[in-house]
Amino acid sequence: MSVEKLAYLPGCPSEATALEQHMSTEAVFEKLGVELVEVEEWNCCGAAEAEDPNLVYALNARNLAIAEKDNLDIMTPCSICYYNLARTNNALKANEELRAEIKAIDPSLEYNGTITPKHVLDVLMNDIGPEEIKSKLVKKVELKVAPYYGCYLGRPPETAFDDPDDPVLMDQLIELIGGENVPFSAMKTKCCGGPLMMTRGDLAFEMARKILERAKNAGADCIALACPLCGMMLDAKQPDVEKALNVKFEMPIVYITQLLGLALGIDSKKLGLQKNVVDTKKILEKVV
Amino acid sequence: MPIKTWELDPNFKNEILNEQGGEHLTACYQCSTCTLGCPITELVPSYNPRKIIQMSLLGMRTEVLSNPDLWICAICQTCTARCPQNVVVGDVLAVIRRLAEKAEEAGEIKIESPRPLFETAFLHTVEKYGRLYDIGLAMEYYPKREGSFVAGQKAMMNDYMGFGMRMFLKGKMGPLGGHGLFKGLLASKIKQRDVMEKIFKWVEEKEK
Repeated sequence: MSVEKLAYLPGCPSEATALEQHMSTEAVFEKLGVELVEVEEWNCCGAAEAEDPNLVYALNARNLAIAEKDNLDIMTPCSICYYNLARTNNALKANEELRAEIKAIDPSLEYNGTITPKHVLDVLMNDIGPEEIKSKLVKKVELKVAPYYGCYLGRPPETAFDDPDDPVLMDQLIELIGGENVPFSAMKTKCCGGPLMMTRGDLAFEMARKILERAKNAGADCIALACPLCGMMLDAKQPDVEKALNVKFEMPIVYITQLLGLALGIDSKKLGLQKNVVDTKKILEKVV
Repeated sequence: MPIKTWELDPNFKNEILNEQGGEHLTACYQCSTCTLGCPITELVPSYNPRKIIQMSLLGMRTEVLSNPDLWICAICQTCTARCPQNVVVGDVLAVIRRLAEKAEEAGEIKIESPRPLFETAFLHTVEKYGRLYDIGLAMEYYPKREGSFVAGQKAMMNDYMGFGMRMFLKGKMGPLGGHGLFKGLLASKIKQRDVMEKIFKWVEEKEK
């Protein structure tokens, strides 16, 4: 196996709203024999709220620098952290002047561009690889799954690691663990509305509704995703969407690491499946 | 909208071109691919990134900067990914939003959206603690948006009462998850908060 040890950036939602994503990521990588070294004292990447690129570069230089000291590539389960790490890495690698300027803010921001930022899905499918994962599977997750990628895995092109309109990595992983992908291409990469949740809740709810509705109509048992903001919007706010728009979905939303964890035989509690807001018990019945 | 040629600001496009992310504005050939694929346009037909770019190129500074539509972009990057001219539409819009904030500070326009308040409240928690603190963000944002503490609390309860209860009952916030009494309720602070302060100060200096 090509990867044995990685720096791990859990991201802010890992501490509360996306606790189950954090738990399942750690459990899955432990099972796969990849050591995760949590970036010591990591900071927020600025998310989508830091619109000034300089702020993004400085914030992310710190996390990159900590991982670089250990000479480890840095992995995150959060799509937005990934996007910010990757574009900072690109910008700092290409611009020596900017590197020097950021280092001058504080010595802890000295980053030399020697490591690579990765998203969990990228590491699983491209670095560890389907063969290696397959050799460790002990159960079949016989679910109909709507694979939902959201925005930042295939967009923008400078940081993407999957196709912008028809990404495949999650589809492949779901098939690998015994699941079936329902037709979902129209919604795979559509924005969940998360970034508008607190300023234009009405739009955000409509955007979430479209995704939930399509999954339901396609006969999905659950939606699988890879971003904590999508998780917050589609899972934690699902009852609010239902109430506001007078609809009923009761669509379980799971992180892809939770599904993989089940196939690897990891206990559902360890994967945090009791923490998803929409009940996931029905999913567990289909793990054989 | 009628175009008053005597009110155009021919330098406006240069303001955008000079900012990081705005460099490719003039490559736009108005094909509308950005707008056709936009999930916001799907819901709000008047929302039109192509038009915002064209108005910017024409120099319709005030109209562009005070356009409330700037603030309903979900930053999903679909426009950027699909643009055949590599305009980096999403970044161009971000540049325009930042110019709008500066224009508001200078008293030139009024922004009709709570989004700048939200982003500022978000970033305040990062500056203060090194990490996002959801509750701190909400406690700053809602009162400012609603204009008073009481109205803010009311709006916050309306939006987040159910959500908060779910987080509590699922043990993601509070003691029920067995991760500690105040899990997710108190701010998670990093030790090097002085570095955060330095970063934000540097950004502020650079913006001047």
